[in-house]
Amino acid sequence: MAKNPAAGAAEYMLRMPIKERPDWEARADEFGFKFHSMYGERYWDERAYYQFSLQQIEEGIEAPTEDIHQMCLAVVEKVVSDDQLMRRFCIPLHQWDFVRNSWINGDPSLYSRIDLAYTGEGYAKLYENNADTPTSVYETGFWQWLWLKDNVDAGVLPRRADQFNSLQEKLVNRFKDLHTLTPDRQLHFACCKDTEEDRGTVQYLEDCARAAGIDTHFVYVEDIGRDAAGNFSDLEDRILSWMFKLYPWEFMFNEDFGSLLGTNNIRWIEPPWKSILSNKALLPLLWKMFPNHPNLLPAFFEDELHLADTSDSMVKKPLFSREGANISIVRNASEVASSPGPYGSEGFIYQATYMLPRFGDHYTLIGSWLVDDEAAGISVREDSGPITQDMSRYLPHIIL
Amino acid sequence: MKRSKHIDLDMMRKGSKKRSFLNPLALGIAVVSLTSCSSQEEVMVVNSPEECVATSGLTLVECEAAYQKAQAEAERTGPKYNSSGECESEFGSGQCTQTRSGGYFMPMMTGFMMGRMLSGGGYSGYGYNPVYRYNRPYSAQHNKIMTADGTVIGSPGQSSYRVDKNTLKSKPTVTKTVSRGGFGSTASAKSSWGGGKKSGGWGG
Repeated sequence: MAKNPAAGAAEYMLRMPIKERPDWEARADEFGFKFHSMYGERYWDERAYYQFSLQQIEEGIEAPTEDIHQMCLAVVEKVVSDDQLMRRFCIPLHQWDFVRNSWINGDPSLYSRIDLAYTGEGYAKLYENNADTPTSVYETGFWQWLWLKDNVDAGVLPRRADQFNSLQEKLVNRFKDLHTLTPDRQLHFACCKDTEEDRGTVQYLEDCARAAGIDTHFVYVEDIGRDAAGNFSDLEDRILSWMFKLYPWEFMFNEDFGSLLGTNNIRWIEPPWKSILSNKALLPLLWKMFPNHPNLLPAFFEDELHLADTSDSMVKKPLFSREGANISIVRNASEVASSPGPYGSEGFIYQATYMLPRFGDHYTLIGSWLVDDEAAGISVREDSGPITQDMSRYLPHIIL
Repeated sequence: MKRSKHIDLDMMRKGSKKRSFLNPLALGIAVVSLTSCSSQEEVMVVNSPEECVATSGLTLVECEAAYQKAQAEAERTGPKYNSSGECESEFGSGQCTQTRSGGYFMPMMTGFMMGRMLSGGGYSGYGYNPVYRYNRPYSAQHNKIMTADGTVIGSPGQSSYRVDKNTLKSKPTVTKTVSRGGFGSTASAKSSWGGGKKSGGWGG
């Protein structure tokens, strides 16, 4: 059982206003950060930062993050050996071997981000696990690190200000490990066309891989080809043998080339077993396996809602969704708040409502990063509504 | 300290002078960069097991083995074409052959690269990378020696070549792609679903 972190840290983290760096846009150009604004609005917002104590970070976030990750791995272990659960998780029958073998073989993982509701006191609560295609890794690992360095160098923030963010260092080290585990292969990176955010994310990870001494290539997901033998290839006809894809497994499973998965000799990042963790069915199963764990919220499959012992409101989430799409808050069976989006045809789960902490007009969500199974830092995002969407704003943080 | 101790800002810089990341390579057009001497390596290119013996000091048996390994690498990593004509338009008449596994055509290697290792006073192989002589008329690479991934290392007939260390590394397997577009359909279906243009991504 996790230690109660509330004992010593009985206060909220702080939201502190600060002047923007006068040259921040030039800095963004200099370092190729292109998606700091989207749809004409700010995504990166350095007009304020969040301030945590070291205790809030270490006891409230870092340790629970690693605990939650271990619980999640226990769920994967259970699901891969249970046909009924594989069905519950909507893993298509023709991909079961692919998913199972990747777990049994111990295919290594690179990174994950779990989303937490955390006020600074008490227990952080798990919202969901972005284990397959986590983004905002550049903003976290590099860009907010640079923000802190610039502000310390300028004397705006004190020298002893720190940040919970060893993400880049850990990513490079993890790539070195993966290189050792995957000798003599070149690593292809892939994402979809027409998304500057994904392209930037993948470029960042490619830079980290290169820093680890790996030879890399890039191919868009839509440009991936196949040869007569069923190998996948890039636009220069190089066979893909080691592949990072920022594209959800549940999409790939059912697309035209999905039937070739597992038939060709490719090492995948993230590995196929991550499809079990990025699936919202994870949440009810976690609650079943670790009932009343203080970092978990009660969660139920749709046909087990009667097990919920509360008439309180529940959050209805599609099994597969990204970036807060199609989430609704259900109170007395009426949907009081919902977000639009293209997900939901695979069914829903219900999670007890637990509001994000509010700072003024802002609702704040913590993304807690793992590299393999080590906690590696946080990202802080805020939104003007209680459901965090992909148009939420990213704010830096410090430890003081 | 809870943050990365050091980040190499030069490595992270992506200003206008740095390469754009939306810059696909084209086969055969990569030219070896000569900017950094420390990453350079001196290599020999030999055309036959006999020439290998004459220039490297290895035995005929060793050179024969190196030659056969280079041929296997050529089969694995060389550019593949649907027809002999397509291949010959780039590598010259009579310079192409069918792949052993059948179905495709690839240029015949004109020799293989050997790194000059000054250990034990002789030469020894560095992998066995095949090289080709590019022959498309009026091309900037016409009559240049290149590796399987199209990296030009120089003109034929030099006694040695200075190349980037990466040139000596084993190349990825090259195949003949028969179709593309088998992934990505879900994303495009979902992005049209809302009617809005997607500029965020499929990550989460």
